[in-house]
This record gives sequence, C-alpha cells and structure tokens, in this order.
Amino acid sequence: MKSIADRLEKINDTLNPIVVKELRQAVQGKFLIVVLICFLCFQLLTVALFLTNESAAEAFNAGRNICRVLLGILLGTCLLFVPAYTGIRLASERADANVDLLFITTLRPRSIIWGKFFASLILTVLIYSACMPFMTFTYLLRGVDLPSLFILLALIFIVVAGGIQCAMLIGCLPANRIFKVILGIGWFWLTVTIFVPLIVIMFLPGGLLDSGIGSQLGSWRFWRGALGVLGSGAALITLLALLSTALISPLSANRALPIRIFITAVWLLTGVVAAIWSIEINALRPIWTWGFINMLLFSIGLFVAVSERERLGQRVRQDIPRRLLPRSLAFLFYSGAASGVTWASLMMILTALPIAAWIGIFPYMFDHALETLGSLVAMGLYAFSYALGASVIRRRFLASRVTCGYTWVIALVLFGITTTIIPLALFFLSGEWEQEWLIASPLGPLLIVHPFLSVDESYIVLHSVTIATICAALAGALSLPWLIRQLDDFRPPREETASDPQTNESGEV
Amino acid sequence: MQVNIINLRKNFGTTRAVDDISFSFSSREIIGFVGPNGAGKTTTMKILATLDEPTDGDAKIDDVSIVEMPEKARRLIGYVPDALPMHRDISVHEYLDFFARAYGLTGTQRRQVIGNIEEFTNLTGIREKTLYALSKGMKQRVSLARALLHDPPVLVMDEPAAGLDPRGRVELRELLRVLSGQGKAILISSHILTELSEICDGAVIIEQGRIITAGTLQEIAKPEVEQHTVLIRSLNQQDDLYPSLLLMPNVAAANQLENEIEVKVTGSEEACSDLLGNLIRDGYRIVEFKQRGGDLESVFMNVTKGDVQ
Repeated sequence: MKSIADRLEKINDTLNPIVVKELRQAVQGKFLIVVLICFLCFQLLTVALFLTNESAAEAFNAGRNICRVLLGILLGTCLLFVPAYTGIRLASERADANVDLLFITTLRPRSIIWGKFFASLILTVLIYSACMPFMTFTYLLRGVDLPSLFILLALIFIVVAGGIQCAMLIGCLPANRIFKVILGIGWFWLTVTIFVPLIVIMFLPGGLLDSGIGSQLGSWRFWRGALGVLGSGAALITLLALLSTALISPLSANRALPIRIFITAVWLLTGVVAAIWSIEINALRPIWTWGFINMLLFSIGLFVAVSERERLGQRVRQDIPRRLLPRSLAFLFYSGAASGVTWASLMMILTALPIAAWIGIFPYMFDHALETLGSLVAMGLYAFSYALGASVIRRRFLASRVTCGYTWVIALVLFGITTTIIPLALFFLSGEWEQEWLIASPLGPLLIVHPFLSVDESYIVLHSVTIATICAALAGALSLPWLIRQLDDFRPPREETASDPQTNESGEV
Repeated sequence: MQVNIINLRKNFGTTRAVDDISFSFSSREIIGFVGPNGAGKTTTMKILATLDEPTDGDAKIDDVSIVEMPEKARRLIGYVPDALPMHRDISVHEYLDFFARAYGLTGTQRRQVIGNIEEFTNLTGIREKTLYALSKGMKQRVSLARALLHDPPVLVMDEPAAGLDPRGRVELRELLRVLSGQGKAILISSHILTELSEICDGAVIIEQGRIITAGTLQEIAKPEVEQHTVLIRSLNQQDDLYPSLLLMPNVAAANQLENEIEVKVTGSEEACSDLLGNLIRDGYRIVEFKQRGGDLESVFMNVTKGDVQ
C-alpha cells in the first residue's frame, strides 16, 4: 500500500502545476457547470424531440439523424466555449495592469502554455464524456457505425485543440483591452467560418458521416488522409504554442530560435510531401500551394523580424557559438532584427528556387508557369521592400517617436498605401478601374495570375516584378550598413574589449 | 545579498513613470519606498519583481540581472502586490499549493513548507476558505505567505499595510522584523509613514518618477540648512503672537494652525531657545513650546510637492 501511495505521490509531483490549478478552478467554478448543464439539456431535448416523432424514430437511419445533430452540438460547444474560456482567462492573466503572479514564478513559459492547453483538452474530454451516453444511444437506434463515429469525434477533437491554441495565442498578445476585444471578435468570426463548413463536410447528408468513412480503415488512402490531417493539426498546434510561448517569454530570451527551427523543419517536410503529391497527381497545384503559403508566412516573418530588437542582450550573446561556421548558422536562427530578416529572405529564396526548378523540369504541368512564379517572387520582394523600407523610415525619421517593436506598423502602412490608397486615388482621378494600378502591390500579380484562373495579363506580372526588384534593391542597399553592423555585433561576449558598458554600470544611492 | 537598482527608466507612451532611479539595499535592511500617488513606486516594484520590463536600466540582485536573467531573479525575489489578483474559485491552501508547485517544491517538502508558512502568517484557520471570501487583511496575509513560499532572500512589498486593522498592522510589523532578522532584504512601500519610521532602516523618497532623497532615516531627516519646526501655543494671545513671530530673528516662516502656531526656526537649537526667551521677555504667556521631530512624515511633507506624472 505504501509503495502505491509513494507512486501516486510521485505522479502528483510530476503533474504540471498549471494543469492542477486550472482544473481545480474549472471544477469549482460556475462556468463549466453551466456549460455542461446546458449541453446535457440540449442533447436531451434533441433526443426527446426525435423520439416523439414516430416516423423519424422508426426510420432505419434514426441513429444517424440524431447523431448529426448531437455531433453538431458537441462541435459547437467545444469549439466555442472551451477556447473562449481558455483564451479569456489567459488574456485577463496577461492584462497590462494586473499581470498574474504565476508569470513571476519559476515555471517556464513553455510549461505555462502547454499546461493551459492540456487543462483545456481535459475539459474537452469532460464534455465528450457527457456526450458519450447519447452517442451510445444513437448507435443502438441504428444507422451509424462505431468507426465512423470515432473518426468524426477524433476530427472534432483536433479542430477544437487548434481552436484552443489559437485562442491562447490571442490571449497572449501584448495588446490593450480594446484591441483584445477586437481580436476576440475576429477569433469568433474565424470560429464561425470554420464551424459552418465543418458541419457541411462532416454531418450534413452526403458528408463524412454518410460516406461510411469507418469502412475505409483498411485502405492506404484513408490512412494517408488521416495522417495528413493529424500532421497538419499537430504542426499548427505546435506552431501556435511556440508563438504563444515566445510572447510570454522575457524579451531578453532567445525567443525566435525554437520558432525558426520548427518552421524550417515543417517547410522542408511539407515541401517534400507537396513535391511527391504534385508528381503523383501530375499537377502544379500542391507545390504552388506550398510555395504560396510559405511565401506568405515568410512575408509575415519579415514584418515580425524588423520589429525585433537590434542589440542583443548578454543572455543571447552568451549562447553564440565561437567558431565561424556554427556562428553563421546561429545568426540565421537566433533572435534579432537582422537575423530574422536574413532568415526570412533566405527562406523565401529557397521557396522560390524549387518552384522555378519544378517549372523547368515539368513545364507541362501548368500553362502560366512563369507568371505563377513571378507572382510569388513579386510577393516576396514587396514584403522585403515594405519591411526594410519601414525599418529605414523608423531609424532615419521616427527613431525618437517609434520604438523598434512597432516597425511592423510602418510596414503595414506602406502596404496599405500601395495596395489601397494609390489605386483608389487613381480610380477617383480617372473615373475607371484598371488592373495595372495594383502593380505596386503584391496583390496585383496574385489577383491576375494564379493556377485557378488563366487570365493572360503577363505584362502586369513582369512590371510588378520589375518595380518590386527596384524597391527591394533600394531598401536592401539602404539597410546594408544596418545589417552589416548587426552581423558584426553577433559575437559571444568574451571576444569584446573590456569596456562593455553593461559591466561597468553602478548605481549606489 | 545586495540589490542594486541601476538607472531604471520606464516610459508609458510619452509619460516617464520612472526616471533614472538608482539606489541599493542589502540583507537585514528594511527600506521604505515612499512617494505620493503616481510617483512611480508600484512601477518600480513591478519591474523589480520582473512583472514588467524597464525601458532602460537594470536591477541586479548580487550578479543576477532582472532584465537579462529574470528566471533566476524570480527565485530570489518574493513580491507582495498592492492587491491580490482575484482567483475566485480556489481556496487559500490550494492557492499556496499551486505556487509551491510552481516554485518546484515537491512531496513532503511542499506540504511542510506550506504548513509552516500558513502557521507563520496565521492562515491555518482559514486555509479552506475561498480567496474571494477573504477580507482585505486576510488577502494581504495570503499574499505575504505566497511571497515567502520559496524562501526568497529579497522581499518587495507594495503597500502591504493598506486595509489592515490596527492589530494587523502591529502583526505585520512584527513579521517584518522577524523576516529582517532572518537576513532578508526588504523594500516596502506604504503611505503610513509613522509605521515605516518605526521599522525601516532607511528610506527612498520619490516623486514624479525621480528620487528626491534617499539614505538612512537619520540622513534624510537632517535638512541641508539646519532648521527646526516649533509648535507654540500662548494663553489667549494667539492673534497678537503671530505677527510678532514673523518679525523675530531666525524665524523663517510661521503658519497659524487651529490652536497653535507652527514656526520654522533657522539655526541650531540655541536659536529655538533664544526665540522662547524673546517671547517671554516680550510678555507673551507661553503654555506650550515644543519642537517637532525630524520624522519620515515631516521629511516627506517637506521634500514632496504632491505632483503626479
């Protein structure tokens, strides 16, 4: 008995404190109880309504019909309430005026994020468990097979897990209350836009529930799809968790390192998968989609990178390798504005090059191959121009007013000017709309040429790429001294002279 | 253990909440951190507790920088905020248990530490009560208990006496003395200056984010120009006495209060004695002539203007 008690004690000690606290608060609070009671009432009402309708209750697929509604209620409850509960709690704990004291304990940011995530997953399981008796009942009413039911429940669970991490990321964002409310509304809109198609795909007649998905368990096609969904879900959840962790980590930490390593690994893996898929279906779409998503991701990465700090603290510098080759590699992945810009730019080049090679090797896959590549290149070059242009503007003209952390706002303004203000001004001046007015924006070539439309206005792409190249060259040239200075500063602390200002500071009263 | 606050700055937009603050304190010292509302005390303390990050400057606990190594600094600092963040659905014991776990305490050690701290802060009787049901004073005790769980060598306490009843204040004073005796360095902010005077070894007075004066209580109570404040009450001659006082030598200023006159006398205590002699010689029937001590409250009132950022 004693050994069992000891083992239980050890298990108790290894539990993440956040999971323990969150679950204690959840089960003692009113929110979960109210949600669970409402959830049970809805289910009970649904089943009662079906059973009182004689023709529906006696139909051979009565179980499936009830199951559609019950799964819909389950998805709605889990997708809306669990992420909202987690996100709002985290946002209130991270509120500027009253940051919760758990953030000054010795718990690592990673433990906090994963702890909250697992606690929310346990709450989801709790709601699932409340649903199980009703699901069993639908099985007894016929018309639904257990494998299909379990697959759909698993799919809902993955979607809810993604929703929880998304809500947590919003909760972690360093924003004031109003901005967080706006983000919350955005999250709600996103949830609804995910919820509606999921209902259609999964539960409505002709959806996954009717397709007999459970009977395909023995086929490779099913497992390939399942692994794809599982892998994509896991990658998205991990990326969101890494971003949330970085947001609650101290500014002095090497916050970019895990994110950049993870994105690079996912980029490589998904690139290989997309290439194989493209060959298998003999079409450019998978590889182009991969290229587009990555180019978009690295464009956002550039906006984030220019907002990072330009001078590294002692903490990051202590981890910089001494030898040249590892140090050069570390420069790409460590926190810092120049490092981020170099990494994102390099990843953009490495994304565009395989697509260019692909077009060369398999020219028959798409009619507008060069225009497609051009639109991607223009997007990358414009993102580079906006990001570095914003950095130049901030350093030269707004250094005393705008801190480095808000460079992304200037970049967004530049994007807004070229994408909306200039085309709109030209529209009002001339009185008619021309597609060429968007050539100073990445949207221009993307709207005109992509694999799903075959509008041949290739000269616009060419002009756009030319303008983007000139802008990128100009922004790059102006930023070169800034980049070189940071590259030169990227050294471990001992290689410096003894007159490091941080070591000489003193502050007696 | 030495805590050095080095050129600390914190801006909120265009407002400079903390402006180049530097001071230090060490083990077994209790330092009062005093200033009017909006002076930057809470901001400074939050930065010290690693709850906020400075715009510039640093604070070091021995060699551990709170900016570069906040995780290490958190092991060394116990922070008592001015208000306990609301955790509605959790009991006192569960709250302390969570923080003990968060500081890495395990098994028997965790239970022992929580038990000892609950006893030390007199929480044993209310350990199963939920936090929202507690009074302000009880919450302050819970907050102190939480800050002591990992036995930090430095305590940063923001208005710990606010809302406490007289007994609570006396008990807090005793607790602070015990903690200081255990070798902890304590930085404490409070508006109850008379109480701070009794327990503090030194004080830092700030206003508009800047340090006005700092040092031991004796040092800061001693004005640059020697000056004494004297309270005088005469028998039915108060109205006549006031203009006469203004004309007397060494009287820098006089202020008529309800029953007495407050007089600022420049010079040594001899000047005060001369003033009393002159008043008697002029025929005033003095019934009270007392010198006001250079306590923290009077120093605070003298050096601050009450301006906020």
